[in-house]
Formats: sequence, C-alpha cells, structure tokens
Amino acid sequence: MTLTPELLLDTAVRRMLTSRPELVAECDLSSPAGLAAVRNSLNEADELAVVSVIRSVDLPGWVRETCLFALSLDEATARAWRRSFTRTIFLAGQPGNLRERFALTRVAPDGSVAWVGPAPVAATRTLRRLLKTFVADRPVDAAPPTVVELPTPGGRAARHALHRDLYLAVSGHTVGETLIQLNHLLVEAVQDGLINGGDRLTLRHVPRLNGLRAPVEALRVDIDHDNPDRLRAYAALTEPLPQR
Amino acid sequence: MSALPRVLVAPVTVTPSKPLTPSHLKGLLWTDVLYRATALVADTTYRYSPTTYHPTEQTLGFWYYLDQHHGDVDYSQMSEEEIGDLYVAYRARATKVSAAALRPYADAVENTGWVHPAGARVLQLWTGHYALLGLHDPGLEVHQPPGLGLEETLEQLKPAGAVLDQRADGGPVYLDATRYGLPLRQIVTADGRPNYLACALRELLPLAPEYDEVVLLYDSGLERDYQLVARLLSLRGPAVRRISVSRVPVNGRVTSARHGDWHDHSFGALLRVMDGRCSPESFRLGMRLYFVASLGRGQQESFRLDRLVHWTVRAQRLLDRSRTAPAGTGTALLDRCRSGHSYIDPYRLVSSLLDRRRSAPDPGLLSEVLL
Repeated sequence: MTLTPELLLDTAVRRMLTSRPELVAECDLSSPAGLAAVRNSLNEADELAVVSVIRSVDLPGWVRETCLFALSLDEATARAWRRSFTRTIFLAGQPGNLRERFALTRVAPDGSVAWVGPAPVAATRTLRRLLKTFVADRPVDAAPPTVVELPTPGGRAARHALHRDLYLAVSGHTVGETLIQLNHLLVEAVQDGLINGGDRLTLRHVPRLNGLRAPVEALRVDIDHDNPDRLRAYAALTEPLPQR
Repeated sequence: MSALPRVLVAPVTVTPSKPLTPSHLKGLLWTDVLYRATALVADTTYRYSPTTYHPTEQTLGFWYYLDQHHGDVDYSQMSEEEIGDLYVAYRARATKVSAAALRPYADAVENTGWVHPAGARVLQLWTGHYALLGLHDPGLEVHQPPGLGLEETLEQLKPAGAVLDQRADGGPVYLDATRYGLPLRQIVTADGRPNYLACALRELLPLAPEYDEVVLLYDSGLERDYQLVARLLSLRGPAVRRISVSRVPVNGRVTSARHGDWHDHSFGALLRVMDGRCSPESFRLGMRLYFVASLGRGQQESFRLDRLVHWTVRAQRLLDRSRTAPAGTGTALLDRCRSGHSYIDPYRLVSSLLDRRRSAPDPGLLSEVLL
C-alpha cells in the first residue's frame, strides 16, 4: 500500500460520507483543514459519545475488550454513535470504584477498562466531573506480533471466523494517542462487519504504515499532530488472511 | 479512670519561602489555641513538619531557581521579605523545572535532611516570631521526616482502591475516592513529582492508627483535598475532624502570598506598627482575640491594624481582671468547648472570654493556653 496525501484525504472523506452524508454537501472537503472545520462545527450538545474509563492499558487486551464492547451494541445505537463519528472520551478511573454509583455499559473482566454509553454528552456530566482526562504519554513499545482472539458471541449473525492483521503505526505515538486512533478503527470495523465474534486479529507494530505490502480493508486516517496541515495513517486492518 | 483520648493536631504547613501574612497568622493562632487547650484535657500531639513538605515542587523548584539565578549568596542576614521577593520572582516565571533537575535537591532532603539556606533562614526567623507570639514551636528547625516513603504510601493505599497509578503508561498518580463521590485528585506528576497532598499522606497515614482523633486544620480553599485526606485517614481507625479556617482578606481581597502584595501587612510590618503600643502579654492575647474570636472561621472582615490595636487594649483589660479572678475555673470552661469531639474548639474558647456575663478568666488558663 503506497500512501499519498490524495489517498489519505479520500479515506477521510469517505469516512465522513459514511458517518454523516448530509454534512458533505455543504462543506469544503478538499483539505485537512476543511475536514477539521467540519468536525469543529458540530454542536457538542447534539452529539453522542462513549465514555471509556481506563485504569490500565494492556494493548492486546484492550483491543479485544474494545471489539467486544462494539459488538455488544445494538444496530440502532451503533448507527447513532457512528453519526457522531464514534466519538469517545477517554478518562482515567477505576471501574471497580464506580460500579455502585454509575450504570456502566460494559466492564472488562479484569476491571482495566469500562464503557458508558453511547449517550448524549450531557448525560455523562457527573461521571466526567469525577474523573480526569486519561493521560498516557509513554511511547508505544516495539512489541512482537500478538494474536487477539475474540470469543464467539451468542445472538449475532453467524459467519465463519476470519483472521486479519491489525497494523499500528507507532513512530512518535504515545499510548494515549494510539488508543484514540485504534478505537475508531476497531469500533467502525465492527459496525461494518469486518470484525465479528470468533475472529482473530494479529496486532503488529510498525514505525509507519506507508509501504505496507498487505492489502488493506480499513485504514484509520486523522490529522497529523506533528503537522496539522497534513493527514496521517495511524492504523490499518488488512483483508482476511488466507485460511491455513 | 479511663485513659485520656489520644489526639493528633495536624495543620497544613506554611512553605518557608515568604513572610507570614494575616492568613498565615490566623491559621497558626487557631492551631496553637486548639493544641494548647486540648493538651489540658487529652494526650495531644502537634505535628507540623516543614521537612515533610520540602519535597514539593513549590519548595524544591524555588531552591533550584535561587541556586541557578542567584548563586552562592548569604541568606543568613536576609529578611523574610527579601527572600519572599525572590520567591515572587520565581513564581512569576512560566517555565517549570524538570523532575531531573530537582532530583539532587529531592535526594538531599530525603536522605540527609538538607535544607536550602534560604529556607533555613526563614524557618529561623519564624522560630523567633513564634516565641514573640507565644506559639508552641512544633519543631520548625528540627528534621522531622515523614514515616513513609512515597512508594510505600502508594502501596498502602492501593489495596483499598484509593490510588490510581498510571505512571506505567506515562500518566500521573491520582488519589481515588470516587466510590465516595469525591473527584480524582492528582498527587504525583507523570515524571514523579509529588504535590503537598502526597507529602501529607506520607506523614499522616502511618500516624493515624496511633490516635483516637485526628484534627486537620487547613484554609478553606483546600476543602476538597482535606475531605479526601479525612476519608483515607478515617479508614485507619481514628475519628477525623476537619476545621477549615478561611484566609483573611486584605482590602476586601483574598490573595496568595506568591503574588507578593504583602509588604504593608506582613508580620514584620505588623510588628513595626505595634512596637511600644502594648505589653507582650496584651499583644499575645490581643492577637488571639482578634484572629480567632473577632475574625472567626469565615472571611467576612478584611484585616485592619486599628482593629488589632483595639483588641490588644481589650486584652489588657481582660488581663487586669484576671489577676483577681479565682484559679481553677478553666476546666469547666474547656468542657463547654467540646461537643462530640475530644479537641477544644478554639473559637468557642476565645470568644467565651469576651462574654461579659461570665466572671473574669482563670489566670492559669490564660497563661497555659492564650499567652
């Protein structure tokens, strides 16, 4: 996969078209600045967001639990959240301390992370006031490929389990930034049916995604935080790997 | 006869980097009256250790700044106003000092009890002020390290879920009492710098189980922090009492000493005005009548030197009356200043002296608690 500014912009525009087609007609989507302007024009009070409460991060475990959370949402809820660009607010907190006071939508079995919503932003005000923005400024470690297996759920339309590679660009990225980007890729891939219960994902860390040989089915593109006038590819989900 | 209750009096400390202002004096006088009165009816410990709070960025950063910008100068002849001016200049700078730069200072404080000569000079001057005011000196110039290290403190809090430590991911450490509806509070930065709350817990956590009652005194701006501290200490057994004492406005405004607008109402300025106006005893009692009874816990009234002068005159009259009063009436009065707790309420005690319906104050009580 050869990344170009045009490909990155096209990917970002297609995401906007899928999530909120009515916005596209009235906006300038010919540049990263135009995309950012669209996002900034949204009225927060009208949007849905998920609050993700994080105690600690083990990346493969977090990938699995994020997919399971996305799989747990019904279609209408997922669609509504998609219209708000799967906005997620990451907060530092200990789910175990919050269970009695708040209705947590889902809690990871080890208590490392929990989700509330999707809900109107105002509905989570009390929780947000109690917690702090999640800060994780540690660079993402170089790590060997790790397979993440999703359990087979009950009640979902069955399809045979697939195995994909999940590439993560780690150069210059912190754990906190990575969660933000990967979260969008994973939950939207679940909503698009690319990831389902029973699937396997091999998490692979690479410095950058440009030049990736594997065919990519979903690409996460966002403003490059080092160069805000550019876009950057943060994570990629490949086509299914051949069955062995 | 049952043993006396064990009471720990633990006020927030003043950073030794500036002159004492009316707000500081109020806190010190409230604490002193509470401690000395409670010591008459309970087994009382007054814990006030500047050593404990030296590792905060506020203090270490100032010392680092002095050494970087002023080099080796003689602080031993400086006034606290002069050192305070340097502190104001330090706080006016926007740049933060890195944890790595502060590490030699933190290590020296932790491992050897080292105090920067500017801090030592201020503490020396304050020791003199305490003597002048008749305040019990809890060991301003004594090395009194906290009972626990930072990591030990965090380890002790973790089993109760009271600490959220995200340093492994490049985040800070928070105190977590969210299960009680209290917001997360950062106590250590991602690069390892503790704030005053982390320091307070290093000191108070190991002490708390040794007491029946812990009394925390602090300025009302720290209410939320002290709610947290009280919650965590009470898990260790003692009843924890919180006494918030508001700062004293000057010309209608409550300001922080770091802004430096204390020049005409620092303790030194106050002494210059009061010099020769009253006896040492009436000054001490007048200070207590004014800062404890007249100003009270709140902050409705601004600081006024003429009111302080008024209260020293009133103090002299009380002292004169007490000379003919019978001794031994103080115990009953102290009992009236407790309700459901072991400590003596300083406001009730000092304001009871002003009740004209009561007989003259017990001279023994005055000398033991208020002079």
